[in-house]
Formats: sequence, C-alpha cells, structure tokens
Amino acid sequence: MSISAWLELIASGLITGGIYALVALGLNLQYGLMRILNIAHGEFLMVGAYLTWLFQTSYGLSPLLMVPVSFVVLLVLGVAVHFLCFRRLTATSPNLDVFEARGLMVAFGLMFLVQNFASWMWGGELRGYDYMTEPVKLGEAQFAANKLLVFFLALVFSGALIVLLRMTLLGKGVRALMQSPIGAQLMGIDTRRLHPLMFGIGLGLSGIAGALLSMAYTITPFMGQPYTVTALIVITLGGFGSMGGALIGGLFLGVIEALGMHFSNPSLKALLSYAIFIAVLLLRPEGLFTRKGRKA
Amino acid sequence: MAQPSKRTLLKGVAATVGAAAFAPHLLAAQPPVRIGYSMSRTGPWTGGAQVSQEPNYLLWAEQQNALGGLDVKGVRRPIELVSSDDRSDTETVVRTYEKLMGSDKVDLVLPPWGSNANFAVAPLANRFGYPFLAPTALSKRLVEMKLPYFFLLLQQPKPMCDALVDMLKANGAKTIAVIYVDDLFGLENYAALRVALQGSGITMVEDKSYPAGVKDLSPVLRSMKDKNPDVFVGFTYPPDTILASKQAKEVGFNPRFFYASVGTAFQLYRNVMTPAGAEGVLGMGSWNGKTSPGAKAYFDAHTRKFGGKEPDRWASGACWAGLEILTAGVAKVGLDRKALRDYIATTRHKTIIGDIQFTGSENTATPGTVGQWQNGEFEVVWPSKVATAKLNPSKPAWK
Repeated sequence: MSISAWLELIASGLITGGIYALVALGLNLQYGLMRILNIAHGEFLMVGAYLTWLFQTSYGLSPLLMVPVSFVVLLVLGVAVHFLCFRRLTATSPNLDVFEARGLMVAFGLMFLVQNFASWMWGGELRGYDYMTEPVKLGEAQFAANKLLVFFLALVFSGALIVLLRMTLLGKGVRALMQSPIGAQLMGIDTRRLHPLMFGIGLGLSGIAGALLSMAYTITPFMGQPYTVTALIVITLGGFGSMGGALIGGLFLGVIEALGMHFSNPSLKALLSYAIFIAVLLLRPEGLFTRKGRKA
Repeated sequence: MAQPSKRTLLKGVAATVGAAAFAPHLLAAQPPVRIGYSMSRTGPWTGGAQVSQEPNYLLWAEQQNALGGLDVKGVRRPIELVSSDDRSDTETVVRTYEKLMGSDKVDLVLPPWGSNANFAVAPLANRFGYPFLAPTALSKRLVEMKLPYFFLLLQQPKPMCDALVDMLKANGAKTIAVIYVDDLFGLENYAALRVALQGSGITMVEDKSYPAGVKDLSPVLRSMKDKNPDVFVGFTYPPDTILASKQAKEVGFNPRFFYASVGTAFQLYRNVMTPAGAEGVLGMGSWNGKTSPGAKAYFDAHTRKFGGKEPDRWASGACWAGLEILTAGVAKVGLDRKALRDYIATTRHKTIIGDIQFTGSENTATPGTVGQWQNGEFEVVWPSKVATAKLNPSKPAWK
C-alpha cells in the first residue's frame, strides 16, 4: 500500500471519527456532569436531523443555517426535558447511584417516546437530500465536500466546548461540579441553573450532530440508537467526563474502524469496536486518555 | 276491477321510497371481507415496507371499496383491513399471523415485508391453509421448502443474477467487484452471482460482506477503486444502496457498470442522488409506467393517492400484481382458500408487470431483469423483450 493510500484511509477514518466525537461530547457532558446516562441521546440527534431535512426540503433552507437552529431548538427542548423529568428525580433520589439508575430508566422511556413521535410525525421511511456531495481533491485523495464540512464543524464545536469548560467561569463551575457536587454547592455554585443548562447544551450538541449527519447520510426515526452505542464506546475510550478524551477517543475509534474494514471485512466492524470497548473496560477503566484522578 | 284504495297506493309509494332509500344500505350490509396483515411501521424494515408494500394494500382496499367492495363470486363485499405494526421484529410477525389465522380467523391474509419475515411465516401459511402472495421475499430456500400455500412474486436470485451476468457478458465486462449485506438476502444473491459468473469469462477481483446498518463503506470502495474493475455489484438494502452510491461518488469510484440492489428503484434514490447523479446507475428493477397501460394507471393512482409518492420500480409492481391475482381469484372461486390456492397455482395470470405463472412457489413467467436510471426514470434495460429503454453500457461520471 502506498503512502498516499495510507493517508487517504486514515483521513477517511478521522472524518468518521469527528462525527463520533461530536455525538460523544454531548453524552459525556450529561453523564460526566450529572450522571444522567442519556440512552435517548441518539434520538435527539435524530430530531436535529429531521428538523434540518424538513426545512431543507420544505422551505429550501440551507442545512448549514439549520445547524444553529437545531442547537437552539434542542437546547430549549433539553432544558424542558430536564425540568419535567430529571429535576424531580434529583429531588426524590436518596443518593447519586439511585439517581443514576432511575435516570437510565427515564432515558429509556424518552428513547421510545421520541422515536415513536418522529415515526408518527414523519413516517418511518428513509429520507434524505442532496447537499454538497461534490468530491474535493486533497492531494491524491478526494473526499465529499459535505464530509469535510462535517469534520471541520465537528472539530470546531468540540473545541469550543472544551474552551468553554476550561477558560470561562461557567466552565470552572461545571468542572467543579464534576469533581465534587457537594463541594461545588457549598462554594455557591447554583446547580439548579447549571444542570438544566448543561443538559440542554448536551442535547444542543446532539442537534448539531444530527443536522450535520443529515447532510451526508439518509435518515430514519431509528437512526439514533447506533450513535448512542458508539458514543458510549467513545466516552469509555476517552474517560467519563473528559471532553478532550472524548474528542481523541472519537477520532481514534474512527481510524481503527477504517483500518479494520480495509484489512479485514466491514462485517467485523462491530466486533472490532466492542473488542476495544471491552479491552478498555478491563484494562484501563478510567479511559485511555485521562490521567488517573483527573477529569475534563 | 276496483281502483286501488288510497291505503294501497300509499303502501306502494312507501315501499318504493323505502327500498330506494335503504337499498344501498342493504348492499353495504354485506358482511365485510376481513383481510389481515402485519407490517413494519417502525424499526429498520420500515423504509422498504412503507415504499413497496403497505401503500399498495391501502390503495387496493380503497379502490375496491370505491367499486362497492371486493367481488366475491359476483357479490361485492367491503374490504376491512385488519393490520398492526410488527416493529420489524420476526417474532412479532409470527405471533401476529398466528393470531390472525388461528384465533381471529380472518378471511384472507396479505404477506409481511421482507425475506426474513416471509421466511418465518411461510410454514404458518401452510399450517393454517391461507394463500400468501409474497411480493418482497427473495430466497431460494423458500422455494425449496415446497410449501403449497406460499407463492413468491419477485424474481429470485438465480434469474436476477443470470440476467445481470448475461448483460455484462454481452457488453464485454471482464472484471467485477462485489459487496453484499451479510444476511439471507445478501448471501443468497452473492451465491447465485458466483454460480452465474462461472464460465462467463468475468473474474471476481474483490468481494466483501458488510453488516446491515453500516455507516461507512469508503475504505472498501477505495480498495475496489484501486483494482479498477469494469463492474461494481452491491447486494444492498436501501440505506446502504444510497451510502455506497454517495461514497463511490466521494472517492471517485466510477466503474462502467455500477449495480446496487434494493432501493435503487425507489424515488428516494433519485431525490437523494439527483437525476443527473443517478444517471446510468443499474439496479434491481422490473417495470415502470411504460411497461403496460395497467402499470401506467397504477403508477398514476399511487402517485395521486400518496401526494406525489411514487411506487418503486421493482417490488411495488410485483405487490400490485399479487393483489390483482388475489382479486381475480376471489371473483372466480370466492373465499374458499383451498380453491383459491389451486386457482393461484394453476392459472397463468395477466398482471400489470406481464404474465405470472407459478412453478411450485416460484414465479417462473417473469424473466430476470436489470434496470437503469436514465433521465430521471428507472428503465428496464435487460432482457430486450421486456426492456423499456436501451442500455447505456458506459456509466457517465458521478455528478
């Protein structure tokens, strides 16, 4: 295999990995900060994808314009979902472990609810549209313009989130909450405002991912689940609660899968992903890219 | 003769008015023909089921009821569809049909979507003695099971692959690369293709399987591009058909013949790839509006009822043909299911996609076909006797 073929293969893996990273970041924010294992994360991604498709095909709105719109809509939806479900759970659960278990159940319910809502609203058929599919040459290799855009934006949004968490006071508050919820509360950090907001931003990110994915793939009401599973693998790779880890983990998984598919068979892709998942859980449960005891 | 009394006259008038007023109701009071089925309205099979199958059932019931009902040996009886969502789950399909045929005892059943679901219910059809005219089942093993009540309308892997290889041979193709989904559909087609390729002079340079729901095929397509085959064949399902096409365009893989399977004949394919982008793409397709006047009428009625949604140019036609066979059979022999089965098994049926005749379970009258996108329409291009357009033997570059 020539060097250019290698580079092409790795680049295609990185592009897929960028999407994985973006999906994983939102989930990581919810789980890392609030211990809400939002199994319905992929479903909200699907809502973002449908919103983009709907406005693109019905009103001819540019899918790019729908990226911020999806973010805002999903953010508001996230705050509402938190207000309706998780706020009450936080108040009634005796400790964090019970909250986590109950939250998981609620998220399962949300998954079915959102999936069936989309199915009822738009039908179960495959949908899609044509947007920026022209190939762009990068040296010897070529990639679809929409994929490059998706990769670029995935990196931008991931970077923005990491900067937000590291550089701002808000981010400091969030990280403090991740380290010690009680300590943070004692320091005057308002969890009642911060939790819904962060849950909303998590969903907003899934909305962005959905909007971006709809440019490159066909969509159905049932598209979300595999992304949730991939996101779980990625945050395990990167370390729960670690945003930088999720970004690197996503890119890493994308490259591994691309290489695996090239040298073996796409049918073995799931086997490869799960093998990595199990190996990381067994050998380095704190994640590949975190120092022990340090998060975010 | 005495003049009719006022009372008699009144009685006569009342009877006439009464009859006129109530006669249509009396007609409608015929008990409905209850027809049951399970259909994927949620889950991964929905994309296919809601394009190729359920819209046809709804359209058919509506058309028949508009005529006063289904003709049961000369008596029109309204159709009542008894249906439920199977959530794309084989177990649910089986349980639904057991209930429909075993305890609900509906008059007739219509088949579920897809090879897997049909494979699971085929033995039940036999046990309960309900004829099944399956429009979306592709499996040699289903034919080999020799189930007298089960009929497969679609051309099976062997004739489809034979037609494809004949066409490729006639147009000088020498090398071929294949991907196939690793389930019953993909495996059987792949096996049939290997057999068809024997002695054809066409060499297989690459073959890879992939799991349903795959999100990235570009690594495979890139390595195929390096081998520069004349032909790409994908035994694919709708999302993968579109994924493979989009990614082939992305990596610049443009062989002379680009063939994909389920979904190529969908309107969605043209919408997603654009008519110019779809130009020259080959796939499984066996009819379009030009095939027959009946096909045109069906195409138009379908598009009208579902707000511009077109039937697909492969299984939708077979599904409608199956409903035509059922309609004619019930008109002739009524709802006696044994007689209906014998009628289906022994008659040469005239349908919108041409003649259909069953040898055992298999429709052996419809030849294997190849379709191709040309100027925004999916044309039948092989074999020439059923072709609606001439084959373009050199696919233009992706647009």
